[in-house]
Amino acid sequence: MRSVRFLLGKDTRLLRRSPALLLALIVYPLVVAVLVGLVVRYAGEQPRVALVDLDNIPSVVEVGGQEFDVDALLDQTAEDIELVRLGPDEAERALRAGDVLATITIPDGFIRALRGMFRSPELRLDFNSDLLGSRILNRVQALVFSINRQLAETYIEANLEYVDLLTDGGSGTFAGNPFDVIGLNEAGNRLRRLGAENPELASEFDELATFVDEAGLALGAVEASLRATAHPIDLVAVGTSGRDALLSTLVQAFGLALTIAFIAVILAAGSLAAERDENVLGRLLRGLVRPSELLASKVVLVALLATAVATILAVAFGVLVETSGIDADHPWERLPLLVVGFLLAGASLGAFGTLVGSLARDARTATLVALLLTLPLMLLGLVPAESVNGVAVASDLFPFSHSVDFFDATLSDADPTGNLLRAAAWLAGLGLVYGAASRLGMRRLAV
Amino acid sequence: MTRPSAPLLEAHHVGRRFGDRTALEAVDVSLGSGDSVALVGSNGAGKSTLLAVLAGALAPTSGRIVHAAPDRQIGWVPQRPALYSRLTALENLEHFGRLERVRKPAARARELLDAVEIASDPVPAGVLSGGNQQRLNLAIAMLVDPDILLLDEPTSSLDPRQRRRFWQIAEVLPQRGGALAFATQHLSEVDAHASHVVLLEAGRRVFAGTLAAWNASSALESLA
Repeated sequence: MRSVRFLLGKDTRLLRRSPALLLALIVYPLVVAVLVGLVVRYAGEQPRVALVDLDNIPSVVEVGGQEFDVDALLDQTAEDIELVRLGPDEAERALRAGDVLATITIPDGFIRALRGMFRSPELRLDFNSDLLGSRILNRVQALVFSINRQLAETYIEANLEYVDLLTDGGSGTFAGNPFDVIGLNEAGNRLRRLGAENPELASEFDELATFVDEAGLALGAVEASLRATAHPIDLVAVGTSGRDALLSTLVQAFGLALTIAFIAVILAAGSLAAERDENVLGRLLRGLVRPSELLASKVVLVALLATAVATILAVAFGVLVETSGIDADHPWERLPLLVVGFLLAGASLGAFGTLVGSLARDARTATLVALLLTLPLMLLGLVPAESVNGVAVASDLFPFSHSVDFFDATLSDADPTGNLLRAAAWLAGLGLVYGAASRLGMRRLAV
Repeated sequence: MTRPSAPLLEAHHVGRRFGDRTALEAVDVSLGSGDSVALVGSNGAGKSTLLAVLAGALAPTSGRIVHAAPDRQIGWVPQRPALYSRLTALENLEHFGRLERVRKPAARARELLDAVEIASDPVPAGVLSGGNQQRLNLAIAMLVDPDILLLDEPTSSLDPRQRRRFWQIAEVLPQRGGALAFATQHLSEVDAHASHVVLLEAGRRVFAGTLAAWNASSALESLA
């Protein structure tokens, strides 16, 4: 172990003499982590959906005597869906080409059916029946629900106006025909006056007046009944100030894992290959240092450096969470657990880096290959396992996704024990396998 | 190769392959106390591979290396300097001194810097001249105060004065009962510094004998 300490001291000294390299190794993954985090958060947030309007709907539609602002409604949907107005042929081509994820078609006669209130008009939705398609279906269903809700409100308002006319009396129109009604209140008053003027019929007039009063009371309850029928269950949405995209635990976990992956893989690969570039491997391996000790020194170096950087990053995330005025608490008490995860992840990813370094011809090639391998392997961890065959297996064989699992469980799970043990076992196992493979690859490096 | 001196290090039928290529094939070499063995041969003959195998930097794929005196230290000076270019000369010597378990690495490092006449300036070894890097390369091999020194074309980048100084340092070993083996392309160095000669051709030993036998043989013509 003394040899490992000496090699570690030498590598630390070399790193201190390369501040630009050190800075790049730290800043680059942080920038990539933030960018990918943003992409992960917002990718697909506003899927493009074609709107084919075969009914030439005007910007304002009158339904049930109420004006209905179609443009305003479509603007509301822009928060979830980017609606693009296209012709039917164009929309079909765009859907096939994947330029739009779905097509909503408003058929001819849609508004006429809507105004008639005799049958429900239909919207047609065409989408690819894959995962994203079902996501679009959910969003369009939400859109239709929203329109129905607003139409129901419109219908209720229109119906309530008639109820008011029946109760209070006045002038109105129905199907374009004007009419006047005296209203139930006035009818009751008149019946009581008639009863007073005709004592022999007073009891019958009183009975009618009472009926009219009760009918008025019943109509008074119509509004609540109509609204209850239209919305048997009403959702009360209360906005809370939870963690935003950049501070969500998953994005934090991803940013931490990405930082560690870049530092550990690239530095371990470059550092091991540099021993060959300097022509010192032969000198070292002729008895001064065992191959396993040389590999261990590289793994320990990158694990410690990655842990230091990741710990600073984790603390920065925590401070941001605490100071940004959001309701979520940062689990400071789990920081030591997180540090253990950083060391495990750094060692496992570092072992992968030494494998790259042992197979590459020189430090430049090793660094380039490490970069070229690390980026797609990390992105692999972001692809939903069920979306593409083999992705889960490939992702499992690289320590990145297990690092994300470890950090996410530490930051967010109420009882993380199971997930932590699983992720830790993967990281340790992969580290040992990559370390053993690196040991074999070292044979190529000597002299 | 037969000689009256006690053997310190021997290669028995040593072979080494790199994939399909055979670099050494059944080579026998013996380094005895007081010997200074010159390894000669054209480029690719196997001189560097033989020295690396003798140094333990490369494992033979056949045959074996016998350390007749396991307590004797071996120093190896590869053809291309084996040092950390971003460490200073002093730091290189201290680092390898620690790995070699030298008792006082810092003091030994300064001693050797003086011996090979390199200033202990705080400049990276990578910016030293080729000659100075080669002398530092020698100094690293001398850290353990070796009894056997294996030199791979050690003077190729040295000027005449540096060469003289180099051989002054190296030739002390045979004089005090150690052994020297050096690969060279310069026949003048063979005449000046070798007691024995081994000629390699395509990985095979085609001549082994004393300097007198070498000069008397026709093997020399194969290098012409």
